[in-house]
Amino acid sequence: MLEIRDLVAGYGTVQILNGASLKVDRGRIVALLGGNGTGKSTLLKAVSGLIRPWSGSITFDGARIDGLRPDRIVRLGLVQVTQGKEAFPAMTVEENLKLGAYVVRDRAAMARNLEQVYSYFPVLKEKRNQLSGTLSGGQLQMVCIGRGLMSNPKMIMLDEPSAALAPQVVLDIFRTIHRITRDGMTVLMIEQNVRMALLLADYGYVIKDGVIHIEGPAEKLIHDDNVRLSYLGGTVANREAQL
Amino acid sequence: MGYFIDLVIVGLSVGMVYALVALGISLIYSGLDIVHFAHGEIYMIGAFIGLVLFEKLALPYVPTLLLAITLTGLLGVLIERLFYRRLTRAGGGYTVAGMGMIIAGFGMSIVLQNVAFLIWGAKPLPFPVPFGMPVEIGNLALPMSYVWIVVVAVALMLGLHVVLRKTMLGLAMRAVAHNKDIAFLSGVNVPLMISVIFGIGCALGAAAGVLIGPINYVQVLMGIGVLIKAFAAAVVGGFGSLPGAIVGGLLVGVFESLGAGYVSGTYKDVYAFILLVVVLMVKPSGILGVEAKMKA
Repeated sequence: MLEIRDLVAGYGTVQILNGASLKVDRGRIVALLGGNGTGKSTLLKAVSGLIRPWSGSITFDGARIDGLRPDRIVRLGLVQVTQGKEAFPAMTVEENLKLGAYVVRDRAAMARNLEQVYSYFPVLKEKRNQLSGTLSGGQLQMVCIGRGLMSNPKMIMLDEPSAALAPQVVLDIFRTIHRITRDGMTVLMIEQNVRMALLLADYGYVIKDGVIHIEGPAEKLIHDDNVRLSYLGGTVANREAQL
Repeated sequence: MGYFIDLVIVGLSVGMVYALVALGISLIYSGLDIVHFAHGEIYMIGAFIGLVLFEKLALPYVPTLLLAITLTGLLGVLIERLFYRRLTRAGGGYTVAGMGMIIAGFGMSIVLQNVAFLIWGAKPLPFPVPFGMPVEIGNLALPMSYVWIVVVAVALMLGLHVVLRKTMLGLAMRAVAHNKDIAFLSGVNVPLMISVIFGIGCALGAAAGVLIGPINYVQVLMGIGVLIKAFAAAVVGGFGSLPGAIVGGLLVGVFESLGAGYVSGTYKDVYAFILLVVVLMVKPSGILGVEAKMKA
């Protein structure tokens, strides 16, 4: 569904991604793992259109999307779910969600999507008229996932859905992501929380220094020492030192 | 007491004009992160366009008002697209364009003044609208032009409030004001929305110009004084806050009117700044200073 080939991108003159390639098949949850500063977020921004790729290709649902404006990419059905802290604090929960349906002009469809989101996150229905600035971290993450689902996308990309959340809350959110995938969604998930992410994902990529370093089915990666090592940002030398 | 109330009523109606200009400045500031120093000239151009429509095309006042607002709004969109947006191409968008944008605003102000000078000349032109008899409020005879200011300004403010609060367009505008990237990721056409915000800001300025025209003369340099007072109003209310712009505008208007009435009319322009200094000393963020932008 999404295929990234030899993606090179960065900010200003600083190159961050040095030719990353990855693939997400329809109906799958794919995890992109890596520590801080490895290029995860840059990759996400390049795919969602916030930054323009320098070279390489991004294909979504059979069409090239690299270089398109972010709102066009949303219209094509590929939505980046932002981190929970990026909910609009001065808007109510429902306004935040409705904004996600900006590309949906049909009121009936919007109402349907809203009910769908409330069925995934019943607590948001209770709090729908509250300003999202008053919500907890977990609820904010739900608002952002919900906002991403409001345009009825074919695929969502999650930017560290576990960031700064308590383990129990992360578990709840991951369960819901699993449920959303069972209903037919395709998911690319960026995570630092390797263990949790690999429990949920079907397939995983580990990114390091702007290239894909290791990849494989999740159940294999979870037992791979190198994965934990890469995630911690260690080198072979200090691993040997530890031994 | 009656004299005091008279002064307050006059102050409120003039304050509405400051409030409209301040509202445009605040709207543009919260949406585009630029302090638009050419906004006084937008107000002036709006007044001239209104005058042309009224005199040359002999349109009635209401269609004149609506058409002048629309045309000036479109002119604003054109200015933003052709000039200001180029400055954002270097990267980072409006948020980081900063100082260059301020200089560009000053430049635009000079350009618009001179364009208006070439077209309409330096002489103040009358904008005679036959509004009819003044309204009697107690022993105050309030000219109809002041009543029009209040009615039209309140209608525009309510309209803006409804658009921002109740429509998807307003939701998108608020999203763009808060965070352009997140608005983009929600599917909002951010470049288009920036044009819309700038256009609405300019339209509000034009409305103020057409409303003040029948009271003062229309002239090339009319924007400067109003710009400074509208800035004072915006800062007094809390820069970037829309209700703050309205409250600030009304306060500046009333304060000015009271000062002129009780102290001296000669120093009319000083009172706005006394208010500004006092507010900055007591509450530097302004009366309604808020963190959330474009709070309607």
